[in-house]
Amino acid sequence: MNRSALARIPGLPALFGFGCLVVSILAFEILIRAGVINRFIVPMPSQIAASFERVIIEEHLLERFVLTFKECFYAAILITLVGVSLGALLHRVDLLRRATETWVAAAASAPTVLMYPLFLVIFGRSSTTIIMMAFVAGLPPVILKTIEGLSGTRRVLINVGRSFNLTQSQMFWKILFPAAMPTIFVGLKLGLIFTLINVVGVEFLINFGGLGQLINDLAERYDLPGTYAAICFVILVSVVFFVVIERIERWLRPAD
Amino acid sequence: MSVASMATTHTAKTSAQDSAGLLVLDDLSKRFPTPEGTVVAVDHVSLSVKQGEFFSVIGPSGCGKSTLFNVIGGLISEYEGNVTVAGERITGPHPSVGMVFQEESTFPWRTVIENVSFPLEIEGMPKAKRYEKARHFIHMVGLDGFENRYPSELSGGMRQRVSLARTLASEPKILLMDEPFAALDEQTRLLLGDKVLQIQEELKQTTMLITHNITEAVQLSDRIMVMTYRPGKVKRVVDINLPRPRTSEIVGSDAFGHYVAQIWTDLREEASRGLTEDEGRRVTRATR
Amino acid sequence: MAETGRLRQAAITSPLLSPVTLVRLAIIAGVLVLWETIAASGWLYRDVVPSLLAIGRAIIALLSSPEYYWHLGVTAGEIGAALTIGGLSGLLVGLVLGGSRFMGKAFEPYLYYLGPTPKIIFFPIMIMWFGVGPASKVALGTMSCFFPIALSVAAGMRQIDPVLIRVGRSFRLKQWQMAWKIYLPAMRHPIINGVRLGLGVALIGTLLAETKLSNRGIGFLIIQAYSLFDMPRMYAMLIVLFILSIGANALIGRLGGLDSIKRL
Repeated sequence: MNRSALARIPGLPALFGFGCLVVSILAFEILIRAGVINRFIVPMPSQIAASFERVIIEEHLLERFVLTFKECFYAAILITLVGVSLGALLHRVDLLRRATETWVAAAASAPTVLMYPLFLVIFGRSSTTIIMMAFVAGLPPVILKTIEGLSGTRRVLINVGRSFNLTQSQMFWKILFPAAMPTIFVGLKLGLIFTLINVVGVEFLINFGGLGQLINDLAERYDLPGTYAAICFVILVSVVFFVVIERIERWLRPAD
Repeated sequence: MSVASMATTHTAKTSAQDSAGLLVLDDLSKRFPTPEGTVVAVDHVSLSVKQGEFFSVIGPSGCGKSTLFNVIGGLISEYEGNVTVAGERITGPHPSVGMVFQEESTFPWRTVIENVSFPLEIEGMPKAKRYEKARHFIHMVGLDGFENRYPSELSGGMRQRVSLARTLASEPKILLMDEPFAALDEQTRLLLGDKVLQIQEELKQTTMLITHNITEAVQLSDRIMVMTYRPGKVKRVVDINLPRPRTSEIVGSDAFGHYVAQIWTDLREEASRGLTEDEGRRVTRATR
Repeated sequence: MAETGRLRQAAITSPLLSPVTLVRLAIIAGVLVLWETIAASGWLYRDVVPSLLAIGRAIIALLSSPEYYWHLGVTAGEIGAALTIGGLSGLLVGLVLGGSRFMGKAFEPYLYYLGPTPKIIFFPIMIMWFGVGPASKVALGTMSCFFPIALSVAAGMRQIDPVLIRVGRSFRLKQWQMAWKIYLPAMRHPIINGVRLGLGVALIGTLLAETKLSNRGIGFLIIQAYSLFDMPRMYAMLIVLFILSIGANALIGRLGGLDSIKRL
């Protein structure tokens, strides 16, 4: 009772959570300074903060960010265009959908990113490998959610369309597609998250491109504070990315 | 039992002081603090339900019926006044009170027979014995042959019968039901009413039904208490002198219509008050 | 889930040559023919698209080599350890976050937003902490699967139908009976689903770590095939890996009754 009353005070739980985060960072700082934690394994939080400037200037952090962002952008365009069209096709041709939907679902749960050495052979150590890998990993949820959204259109809306004698294409663009938008965006959200994870991950793994390669470089040079700072930056970027997508999704969702 | 009951209720001055009452509410009040001020959900309610009696509480939405249900069931343990079952004050869920909830409350991960035998399993009864007993109650609610089905394979009416059988299996002294058929269609509701009448006849089960449906209340009850809209007080208690055993056929009779009209006259005032206070969106259902 | 159910039903009613089966066979045949044509034509660089025969031979060679099973065992052990550690800590954290509104509001946003970040970038740190051996792979797998499991459990705990808790109270269940007979079974779907998601990401985390730096495990074998440019072997390993992971995923789903109404 007492605690649930506390939970209702606006901002207090969030403040408590943030406080705990700050306290644990401070605790690390103190423990490392005291020598309890080896400073050659975990650098001091203050050191990490201090190395941000160096990483930004010397390692061209912002240029690498732009490169990573571009790769994500191209992959996002690809999964949107291909995923939504394939979803619409499968929705339209029911037999094809019934034959392949489980395959797509299986592909969604398969560890496709393990195919990166294969892509490396086909496309070489290049941005194409990264973009294609992100595209393959992000595609299945978009297809699945597009099918789900289109076939989940309420019967009565379709009947409204029929009553106005809409053509097939009018029916799709004026009724089915707008009705399916919120669901399709759920798929796009998943697809974009996979895209970002795979872009950064493959950059790191094949040591090519933007932020992922930066982490790999810094780690290979045993630049501990730099590595930690770069990882913090990537986390920051993905959290901001995720929050933005969430906002857009909420904005697209009809008020209900 | 009567000694205990006298001892705990002797301060009351109302007619509720009936030593034959199995369930006695003595000057019960329940207030809730809300940001807009205190809401009096139940206001000085006294009543007594006799052994074997079928007692209904009817009132418009928002009259505190559900609060009454939660207090008697022991899910709300703080209240003013006194509530006793067989002379014992209710301070939490009581072994003598069996509750059937308005919402769908079967366990989706248990088959019908596993659901119905649940209270017996809690008592620690061996499997063979509790299944035998559960079968008896499954038969009673007319679900023979569905023992090994899961709730998701049953209709809404059948699931409510599973809930009823599960509660009956705990062999409560008082069966307490909160609008158990509210979510069902009218025909199903009437037929389930028949089932309840039949069970009532067979077990002589003391029952308290909370409802907003007049037909249902008159069809099943020996006595009906009409509650007022906020604060929930006793408006009137009506004796239903319709012959037993009853079936749903009684719904067409003149006497039945007379009772319905009489209760509706009382209820209408309260329901209108609720409606004007913009609380009565669901009240229209009570007019059926 | 409903889709697969319907599919299975369709398959039962007309076992062999339903239109769906025909379309599937046609697609598979089409892909294989196209593949073989490309392989034979030599349009792509040598061996990028090896002939089906070569891949088939590689799969047989793989499955009949004891060495492969040893590496498979190493990887399976790493994933198992990751899933155990990450799963138990995720369950614990999920129960705390789901059970208390205050704790949920205080810490869940962090998990929610950290969950979908790329975990593989932590690998350099894991190597510094746990060395280059299997421990760093287990650590990465643990990190990966902790988040989805904790979030699923927390959400599952909040989604329990309150009337079921009232039913439990009305029958006067003791605390452990509430946990064992109401909370746990009511949460079985979110828990199983969390484990399923967790297995998927633990597998990815562990294997990617193996491809980056290790001398054992399936990930190591894959990257070894890459560096030796043994494409048929790489295809064989990817095919077997996908079949295994999709199978494990479906198995957990089946055990948890996710695609049927049957119980746990």
